[in-house]
Amino acid sequence: MAFGQIGIYFFLFLGLYFEVFLLITFFEKRPTVKTVARPLRYPSVSIIVPCWNEERTLAGTLKSLLSLEYPKDKLSIIVVNDGSTDSTLAIAEQFASNPQVHVLSKKNGGKYTALNTGIEHSKSELVGCLDADSFVVPDALIESVKKFEENPKTMAVVPAMKVNRPRNLLELMQAVEYTFGIFYRKMFDNISAISVLPGPFSIYRREMFSITGPFRHAHNTEDMEMAFRMHAYGLRIENAHTSVVYTNVPRTVRSLVRQRTRWSQGFLQNSRDYRYMYFNRRYGHFGTLVLPFLLVMFLGGLYGAAFVLYRIVSWIVAEAQVFMVEKIPMQVPHFSLDWFYFNTSTMTLLVIATVCTTLAAVLIGRRIAGANFGIWSIVSYFTIYGLVAPLWLANAAWGAVRSRESRWR
Amino acid sequence: MTFSGWRRYTLALFITAAIFGTAFYVAYLFNEARVADIRATEDQISIDLQSSETQYELLGSLTCSYASSNEGNPVLSDELNTLANQLTYAEDTLGSENSQVIQLKEQYSLLEIQDYLLLEKLSMQCGTHPIYILYFYSNAGDCSSCGEEGDVLTYLRETYPTLRVYSFDYHLDLSALKTLIELHTIAPTLPALIINSRLPVYGFKSVDDILKIAPGIAKLSTTTPTSSPTANTEF
Repeated sequence: MAFGQIGIYFFLFLGLYFEVFLLITFFEKRPTVKTVARPLRYPSVSIIVPCWNEERTLAGTLKSLLSLEYPKDKLSIIVVNDGSTDSTLAIAEQFASNPQVHVLSKKNGGKYTALNTGIEHSKSELVGCLDADSFVVPDALIESVKKFEENPKTMAVVPAMKVNRPRNLLELMQAVEYTFGIFYRKMFDNISAISVLPGPFSIYRREMFSITGPFRHAHNTEDMEMAFRMHAYGLRIENAHTSVVYTNVPRTVRSLVRQRTRWSQGFLQNSRDYRYMYFNRRYGHFGTLVLPFLLVMFLGGLYGAAFVLYRIVSWIVAEAQVFMVEKIPMQVPHFSLDWFYFNTSTMTLLVIATVCTTLAAVLIGRRIAGANFGIWSIVSYFTIYGLVAPLWLANAAWGAVRSRESRWR
Repeated sequence: MTFSGWRRYTLALFITAAIFGTAFYVAYLFNEARVADIRATEDQISIDLQSSETQYELLGSLTCSYASSNEGNPVLSDELNTLANQLTYAEDTLGSENSQVIQLKEQYSLLEIQDYLLLEKLSMQCGTHPIYILYFYSNAGDCSSCGEEGDVLTYLRETYPTLRVYSFDYHLDLSALKTLIELHTIAPTLPALIINSRLPVYGFKSVDDILKIAPGIAKLSTTTPTSSPTANTEF
């Protein structure tokens, strides 16, 4: 067996192990069904909307917040304009006449500074954030609040995120990926190991910030770092899978790669900052399973891409050799339908098994969140993702090695 | 039922190992089915060859009308080519050191020799001039250009379906093959080609080189070549 193949088997084994582990947790504790029950008490909530040049989507975001089914005197919306250079501030001020909406404007300092400004100006029991390119469904806040009510020790609640009106292939691919993420997040919740508090509609108990401190720059991934820090302090994060938020996703490969490079590089750099949590039983499944496996999957993705690239280049070189040295004209590849020539190698069968478990996770995620997507979304996920993911993985690895800051947009 | 702590980790490990074990076992079953398929094809070819030889003995010169219907070749060209492709694929997937592959190669080489002898008998009897190539290669690491030569011969075989290419692993432990090598005094300087009973030629020969040695090949009926699933004539 070639050395390169051994590596693929290694990563396939770990990848399968991880998915099997999560599927076991699913069958142990299935997600609860959404009910019409209301919270016994409505705590005061502030939702911070940090924005930097969000003129296209801000109005929709604020309208969705104002449509939340929640007592108006208990819900305030704090828009923090982080030095936008477009008409974001003007749009925000159109909503300022609403007593629920408060508009703050500051010099540009990055998203984490906007969030901290919003937190400083809030006085509510719960503080949430919502990216200005995301939209909540009317009962999203109630569903999150119910989670806080169920367990007084819960310090943060994250929602189920879906892609807002996916149209092109890249958006359809991300729609499946986000559904996969819904499954992951719910299973991480089952083992108390949620690894990120996403910008779209994560809600915190106000008292938590007095323990952890404010948001940090954290390599442009303040939402991820806050999750790491909460685990470091032993604080509980829960997932409200019935709290749904829609978010706009990158529509071009370029913008997608940039966004994911930021996420992946942030993961690597935060992992370095919190390396003491790796394989540390003190931090539960987050330290012993989730962090190591996320890193292994990152490395496995890079390794797999390098392996495939090597095989493709070798094939091209061999074909060129056939053409140049053997003087044999280029031939059209022929694929036989005879079963004899079907690739039934162990590796192929294991890849099929991995794809099947991934598909099972996606379908469970779809059921959990009531997401709806067709076969084309699934096809685009399994075909395009493998082509574009190596771009941001390599970019992120290179950026982390050079300790270069990733870019927001 | 819930699993906590190390039990959940252990259960996941057990299931993952079971999936891996199943994958290895299913791949093994597929390979066994392939070997059985090749063996069945070889058995069928063996029967067909014996039938052809018996037919030859019975009919004598009358066999010529039968042979001429196939440009002077015996009837098994397609079967042997298919078998060659299957064996190449099996060697790629199972490895050239696999005992079953070696056994199948020995059987195949024997069939090739039988077919070659029948071809010679028919051509002498009927006065036909079929074009054939005896190709000697090695997988033992002592033939750097055998892979390229295999590609060239595969191309020629696919371009000219009536061209007979008999491929032999020089180091195969088969007495009939050793006799063939001695008869033609083939040195272990591989690759070695014998084209239509000429003296052996050694070293890599391109398509053009072979067409120069045997211009008759270019006059054979052609077909449009496509890359076969196994692009290597080493059988």
